[in-house]
Amino acid sequence: MRKYITIVLFLFAVGYSGLVSGQQRFPKPEFSTGYVTPSPTTPEPRANLLEYGDVLVLVIVISIASWIAIKKRSRRLMLWLSVFSLLYFGFYREGCICSIGAIQNVTLALFDPVYVISFSALLFFLIPLIFTLFFGRTFCAAACPLGAMQDLLIITPFSAPVWVRKTLSFIPFIYLGLAVLYAATGTDFIICRYDPFVGFFRVHAEFNMFLIGACFLGLGLFFARPYCRIFCPYGVLLNIMSRFSKYHLTITPKQCIQCKLCSTSCPFDAIEHPTDEPTTEGKQGSNLKRFIIFGLLIPVWVLVGGYIGSKSHVFLSKANPQVHLTELLIAHPELKNDLNNIDVQTFLTSGKSFETQVKEAQIIRHKFYIGGWILGGFLGFVIGMMLMNQSVFRKKKDYQPHKGDCYSCGRCLKYCPVKADGSVAELK
Amino acid sequence: MKDQSIKLKFLYRIIIITGIFCTVVTILLLLNFWQIQQNKPLDNVALKNLVDRLNADPNNDALKVDIRNLDLLARKAYFNSQWQVRTGGILLLLGAIILAIALKLYHDLRSKIEIPVDLAKNDSIARMLSQRWLLVTIGILFAGALSASYLSSDYLNIYNVSASGNLKTGKGQIEQVKITSATGKASDSTAGKTDSAKGSQATVLLSLAEIKKQSNSFRGPFGNGVSSHKNIPISWDGAKGKKVIWKVKVPKAGFNSPVIWDDKIFITGADAKSKVVYCYDLATGKLVWQKEIGKIPGSPAANPAVSDDTGLSPSTVVCDGQRVFAIFPSGDLVCLDMTGNIVWSKNIGVPDNHYGHASSLIALQDKLFIQYDTNKGGRIMALNVLTGKTVWDIHRKTEISWSSPVLMTVNNKTQLLTTANPLVAGYDTETGKELWSVECMAGEVAPSVCYGDGLVFAGQDNAKLVAIQPGSPAKIVWETDEYLPEVSSPVTSDGLLFICTSSGTLACYDAKTGKKQWENDFGKGFYSSPVVADGKLYAMDLGGKMHILKVSREKKILGEPTLGEKTFATPAFTDGHIILRGANNLYCIGDK
Repeated sequence: MRKYITIVLFLFAVGYSGLVSGQQRFPKPEFSTGYVTPSPTTPEPRANLLEYGDVLVLVIVISIASWIAIKKRSRRLMLWLSVFSLLYFGFYREGCICSIGAIQNVTLALFDPVYVISFSALLFFLIPLIFTLFFGRTFCAAACPLGAMQDLLIITPFSAPVWVRKTLSFIPFIYLGLAVLYAATGTDFIICRYDPFVGFFRVHAEFNMFLIGACFLGLGLFFARPYCRIFCPYGVLLNIMSRFSKYHLTITPKQCIQCKLCSTSCPFDAIEHPTDEPTTEGKQGSNLKRFIIFGLLIPVWVLVGGYIGSKSHVFLSKANPQVHLTELLIAHPELKNDLNNIDVQTFLTSGKSFETQVKEAQIIRHKFYIGGWILGGFLGFVIGMMLMNQSVFRKKKDYQPHKGDCYSCGRCLKYCPVKADGSVAELK
Repeated sequence: MKDQSIKLKFLYRIIIITGIFCTVVTILLLLNFWQIQQNKPLDNVALKNLVDRLNADPNNDALKVDIRNLDLLARKAYFNSQWQVRTGGILLLLGAIILAIALKLYHDLRSKIEIPVDLAKNDSIARMLSQRWLLVTIGILFAGALSASYLSSDYLNIYNVSASGNLKTGKGQIEQVKITSATGKASDSTAGKTDSAKGSQATVLLSLAEIKKQSNSFRGPFGNGVSSHKNIPISWDGAKGKKVIWKVKVPKAGFNSPVIWDDKIFITGADAKSKVVYCYDLATGKLVWQKEIGKIPGSPAANPAVSDDTGLSPSTVVCDGQRVFAIFPSGDLVCLDMTGNIVWSKNIGVPDNHYGHASSLIALQDKLFIQYDTNKGGRIMALNVLTGKTVWDIHRKTEISWSSPVLMTVNNKTQLLTTANPLVAGYDTETGKELWSVECMAGEVAPSVCYGDGLVFAGQDNAKLVAIQPGSPAKIVWETDEYLPEVSSPVTSDGLLFICTSSGTLACYDAKTGKKQWENDFGKGFYSSPVVADGKLYAMDLGGKMHILKVSREKKILGEPTLGEKTFATPAFTDGHIILRGANNLYCIGDK
C-alpha cells in the first residue's frame, strides 16, 4: 500500500512541478482604474506536463490516422479525426506549437548555441516525420490543423494541369529555405509570423493576415488545400519521407481492376495513372539523353543558385531587426531624436555604442552572405533535381496514389469497387 | 428521393441566408477597418488644432478641458470600432463555418459517381511542358533576386566608407571641412568633396554700402526686405510674355528664392536623387553653370523626411561676391566659388524637426551665419567663409523654426536678428554674444524679422505681431494679433509695417504705434515675402499675381500683373529688373 501511495505522491509532485514551472513567476499587477491586461497575441506559456500531453495526443492522433488509412480504410473516420485535430491543435491549442513551425525551433537550436529547444518542440518536429516514413502522410490527413481546416472547405475542386502543379511545387522549397535562413540567423520565425490560419484559431490577428487566411480558404473551395500544396515547408520534408514509406495507403485493397472509377476522385491530383507505354517508347532515347544532360547540369545550377543567393544577402538581411535598425539610423540619423520610436530609444538607452551596433549588424549580414550561398545552392540543387526528374520515364501499371503527394485522406477509397476479399461490387 | 429533395432545398436556403450574412458582415468589417485607419485618435486634426491653440495660449483652462473631452471621445470611438471589428470577425467566422458545412453537404448530396474516362496520356509531353515552365519560373525568380540585390542600398557599407574617412562625431553634428589652399590642394585630409580649383585664399571685405547694391540674400541685402534698386516694372504678363525678357525652365524644383550678384542669378533645386546649385546669366537667362552637390562626408545616406511646404531645397543661397553658399534639409552646407567649383563643404547635422533644415543663410564680410533651431534646442553659428570652420557657435533654448536670420547695423555695430519660439533676439556678429532678447513668440516660427525706425518687428500665426525696441533691456513697444503672418515675413518702410497672411490679407500698420492703417483681402494667400523697392510694395500671392501697392498710409494698388504659374519664392531686384521664380520657371521681367 505504501508503495502505491509513494508512487501516487511522486507522480503528483512531478505533475504539479510541471504545471507550476510553466506558469508566470510573478502575478500580474491589478489596476484600480479597471484596466484589464490584454491577452498576448501568442498563447500563454504551457505547463511542461501539458506540453507532453500535447505530444501524446499527437502520437495518438497519427497512430489512429495511420490505422484508419491502412487498416480501417474509412474516409468518414478520417474526417472526424481531422475535425478533432482542428478543434484541439487549432482552436484549443491556438495553432502552437505545430510541427510546421517546429522546423524553425530545430534550426535555431542547431545554429544558436544559446538557444535550447524544448523537448516537446523537437518531438513535434520528429514524430510526424517518423510516422510518415512508415505510413505515409497520415499527419497531413488528420493531425495537422491547417490541413484539416482547408480540407473541410473543399467544395468543388478542379484538377490543375501537370505543368502548373510541377511549377508551383517549387515554391515550398523556397519557403523552407527562407524559413531556415531566417531562423538560423535569429532573424524571425517567418512560418509562424505569416501563418494564414493562426488568426482564425486565436480569433486575433492583423487585418492583412485575416485577409490572406480568408483568401486561402476561398481559393481552397476550388483548389484543394492551397497552403499545403503551394507553401507548406514541412510538406517538403514529409513528401520526401513518404516516398520511402513501407505501408502506404492503397486505393484498392487487392488487385486494381483498372476500372478508372477512382481516376478523378482525388482533389489533390495525387493519383498516378497507368502510363501509356507505346506512345512514349519512341522517345526513350531522347529522354535518356535529356536525363544525362540535366544530371550533369546540377552542379551548374548549384553554383548559379549559390551566386544569386549570395548577391541577395543584402536585401534578405534587411528583415533582421538589428540590421534594419542600424541601417535606419545610418540613413536617418535624425530618428535618434524621435522619442516615439521605441526601437531607436531602446537602443539609445541600452548604452551600446553605435559602432558596436554596426559591427554586430555587419556580422549578421555576413551570416546572410554565407546563408545566401547555401540557400541559393540548395534551390539550385532542387531545380536541377526537378528538371532531371521530369526526364525520367516511370512505368506505371495501375491507378495508385503518388506516395509523396498523397495526404492519405482516404477520399479515393470509396470509389474503388474492389472489396477486401477481392470481389468486385456492382455499380448502381 | 423526396427526402433528398427536401434536404437539398433546406441546405440551399441555409447557403443563401449565410452567404448574404457573410457578405454583409464582410462589407461592414471592411468599412469599419477603413474607419479605424482613417480616424486614429493620435492623428485627430481637431485635437491637433486645439493643442496648437493651447500652445499659443498655455493658460487657457477651458481649452484644456475641451482637449481632454475631445481626446476621450476620439479614443472611445477608436476602441469601440476595434470592438466592432473583433465581434464582426467572430460572427463572420461562425457564418463562414455554417456556410462551408452547408455547401459541403449540398455538394455531396448532389454529387454522383462520374462515368470513368480514359485519362491515360502521353506524359512525356506533360513533363516537357513542366520543364519549360519550371525554367521560365526560375528565370523570373533569379532575375527578380538579382534586380532586388542591385536595387538594395547597403547602408552598412556606406557607413563603412564614411567611417574610413575618419569621421569625427560629437554633439550630434559632424564637423567635416575641406579647405582649398593656395596651391589648390586640400589641407584637411578628412574633408568633404572639393574641386581642384582656384578657391579664394583671402576674402575681400566688402562695405555695407557695396552689399546694399546687391540682392544677395533672401529678401534682399541683409535680409530686411528692402531693395535700393530703381525703375522696377509694375506691369507684365508672364503667360503672354509681356515684359518678359527671358524665361527658363528650372530643371529641379525648389521653394528657395533667387539671389543676384552683379550679372549672376543663383538658385538651388533638388529632388530625391540629387541637389544642385544653378547660376544663370542675368542678361540672357542662360545657364552659366550648375553644380550637383554629391556625397559630403557625414551627410545622411537618405534625405530626411520633409514637409510639402519645404521640399528638398527650401533655403535660399547667399552670395558674398566671391562665393556662393548653399544649405539643404540634410544639413549639407557647401561653399562654391563664382564659377561653380566647390571651395569647401560640410554637414552640420540633420536638424531634429519634421522638415529638415529650412532656414536661409546670410553672410557678412568674413562670416556666414546659420540659424539652427531644433527640438533639442537652438544654435546660432558663424562660420569662416574661407574655410567653413566655426568662428562661434552659441546654444540657446528655442524650439524648431523655419525663420532666417537678418542683419541690422546700429551705431556701426552689426547685429544678427533672429526669431524663434520663444525668443526674438539680437546677437553680436563678431562674438555671437546675445545683445538683447524678448520672449514673445510661440509655435513653429516661419516668418523672419524686419527692422526700421529703431524697432524690430516679428510675427507668427497663432502667436502675435510685436514691435520690439532693441537694447538692454529690450522691450515690446506694441503688439497685436489681428493679422498674423504664417510663412511670409513682414517688411517695414517709411514708418509703415506690412503683413501678408496665408489667407490672403495684406495689412498695413503704423510702425511706431501699431495702429492699423488699412487692410485688403486679395483672396489668395501669401507664402512669398513682400519686398519694398523703388517706393513700392511688391507682394506676390500663391497664384502668381504680384500686388504692387504704393507705400503710403492710404491703400493704393498700382498694378496686379500675373506670372501665369504658382509662386512661392520671394522676388529679387536689380535696377530695371525683377527676377521671379515660379513653381517651374525663372523669369526676368523688365523692358527688353
